[in-house]
Amino acid sequence: MSLFLQRTFDSLANGSAYAALAVAISMVFRSTGILNLAQGQLAMFSTYIALVLATGPSPYMKFSSNTDLIGAAWPVWAAILGAIAISMVIGAFTERVIVRPISADPVAAVGATLGLYLLLGAFVRKQWGGRTMFLGSPFPQTAEDRWDIGGARLWYDSVGITLTMIAVLGLLAVLQRRTKAGLAFRAVTSNRTGSLLVGIRVSRVLMLGWALAAGIGALAGGLIAGEINVRPDMMGRLLVFGLAAATLGGLRSPVLAFVGGYLFAFLETMLGGYVSFVDSQVTLVWALLVLIIVLFVRPSGLMPRTEAWQQR
Amino acid sequence: MTIQSSQTSSVKRFVWIIASAVSVAACLRVAFWATPKIVTDLSNVIALSLAFAGLVVLTHYLGLLSLGQGAFVGVGAYAALHVVNDFGAPVLWMPLAGLLAGTLVGAVVAIPSLRLPKAYLALLTLSMAVAYPIILRQIDGNLPVTLDGAFVAPSWTGIAENDEHIWELFLVAAYAAVTLFFVQGLLRGPIGRAFIASRDQPEAARAFGIPVYRLRLYGVALSGGMAGLAGGLLMIPTNFNDYTHFPEELSIKMFALAMAFGGSRLISAVPGALVLIFLPVWLIDRNWVVEYGWVGLVKSEGFIYAALLLATAYLTKGKGFMHLFERRQPKSKVQPSNRQVTSVVRGLVDLDQQLVQLEGLAGDRPDIRSRQATND
Repeated sequence: MSLFLQRTFDSLANGSAYAALAVAISMVFRSTGILNLAQGQLAMFSTYIALVLATGPSPYMKFSSNTDLIGAAWPVWAAILGAIAISMVIGAFTERVIVRPISADPVAAVGATLGLYLLLGAFVRKQWGGRTMFLGSPFPQTAEDRWDIGGARLWYDSVGITLTMIAVLGLLAVLQRRTKAGLAFRAVTSNRTGSLLVGIRVSRVLMLGWALAAGIGALAGGLIAGEINVRPDMMGRLLVFGLAAATLGGLRSPVLAFVGGYLFAFLETMLGGYVSFVDSQVTLVWALLVLIIVLFVRPSGLMPRTEAWQQR
Repeated sequence: MTIQSSQTSSVKRFVWIIASAVSVAACLRVAFWATPKIVTDLSNVIALSLAFAGLVVLTHYLGLLSLGQGAFVGVGAYAALHVVNDFGAPVLWMPLAGLLAGTLVGAVVAIPSLRLPKAYLALLTLSMAVAYPIILRQIDGNLPVTLDGAFVAPSWTGIAENDEHIWELFLVAAYAAVTLFFVQGLLRGPIGRAFIASRDQPEAARAFGIPVYRLRLYGVALSGGMAGLAGGLLMIPTNFNDYTHFPEELSIKMFALAMAFGGSRLISAVPGALVLIFLPVWLIDRNWVVEYGWVGLVKSEGFIYAALLLATAYLTKGKGFMHLFERRQPKSKVQPSNRQVTSVVRGLVDLDQQLVQLEGLAGDRPDIRSRQATND
């Protein structure tokens, strides 16, 4: 039982990252109908920004000459917040400059997001190389920073990441339900033409959606960097799980995508832990298999079937 | 008019025959006089052209997105290699195992994803592209698996035993030519038209009795099969396979190139394959890969592909640069390729015009009456 509990606790940090990416993907898809395949790379790029802010002047960072603007090394939490702010600007810029001019054609738009995917990957590899770097966690991460519950260890770090993600989802819900911007966002996702007719500035709302998605992705990257370290391909695996989790939510429901993220992390940890021929690498394949089976059996994912079929 | 179009068709056919003969002559010259490295690269280009053609079918005929074409190629390569090593199949027929495996995997991926919006196929294929190297590493291990067999040219070809790369090129070219001929015929016929109808007007296509879902399923399976065959053919000049051969970047690069160069013709797959094989060689030759900073970024492969994708998205609205060179026909003058159908359509149009004239004559009276009424 304690082993089961331990594995459940272990899945929390990864689940938070998958959930965050899934929420970001769902938000963009829901508002624009575009699958943002650069979401993972945007998050990876943001993590490098956080790393630059957190490291300060350093011989290992090629931006070291520019860090005079930044000053000394920032605390990790401040660096992540800074990276989120910068990422939100990048997200809004991406929507305005890259996606909006071609948003009428979904193939072209997906192509553009893939272009961004390759561009960010090439940029990071050229600037920082392929080496693994360490950002650290904004939460206590020493060997003593834990609770012992039923023979299992629950790390402060995992709890911190999970609670942060739940808080962010709560804030998003408040933003959507209690503010004018949220009301406008809901109106645009539900009926874009109708929103235009009642005077909502649709383009600004979409820009806000992209900015928020980029911010959530940056948060995911910054928080998970303490667990998996920073490298150019850090988000490949996370993106697949994020996409799978978003699929469980029917690609349109951030709440179900969030739940899907934790479900996939739980499944990944349990398969890796209890099935002897499944190592940590192959859990990805099993997750993919589960995704295919889910799409076979229940194409709408966790979403109510009628709602999903209406969106075809 | 019919005579004129048949003359145009004959001229076009003649030009195609001449162009094909020149291409074959050029290939023969390259095969016998170029270095083995270039001949092997050319074999790879020809093989990958099939995978690109599959992507063209999917993207430009069906309007679907596959981000895992590299993984399909990998599946074909794996199947071809293991059908020889594990089951003792003749090496000459091993690409067919790739074809079969690619078709099956394509169908398995398509069945669930096509029941939902198109984005799901992109999502599932991208996941497959990421998962493929991991699966292969788990199955085959870290070391490459070598083909238990060799491609020895028959004596009647006159190809020396040391020049097996020439025979491999001919084998790959023969497989590719037959497949492209077959697929081109398929796309020019009713199936191709049904593909386009299901892409542009799915509801109207359904109303005309076209089974859109099943057609898309066949399309994805066909595309997967072509990629699988390409994988099988790649094993002819390469002779070994490992998990690093088909990474997810390959699928994304293939998608980028198919978008950039893909037109409505299968021949547009060739430039994509040429760039995919020769761009890294060109970059290494110029020593660009070792440059750092902003200049290094601009000269990197990732940047070039990104620029290509973004330029395609902006300048051609995702239709590809080959689309700019394609002859555009006025929308009102859609001419069926079948001459008999043309004459029937023309007759129907004439009949329609006569009916309109008759209706006009019959409809003149109320106009007169209405004018009289206003005058009164």
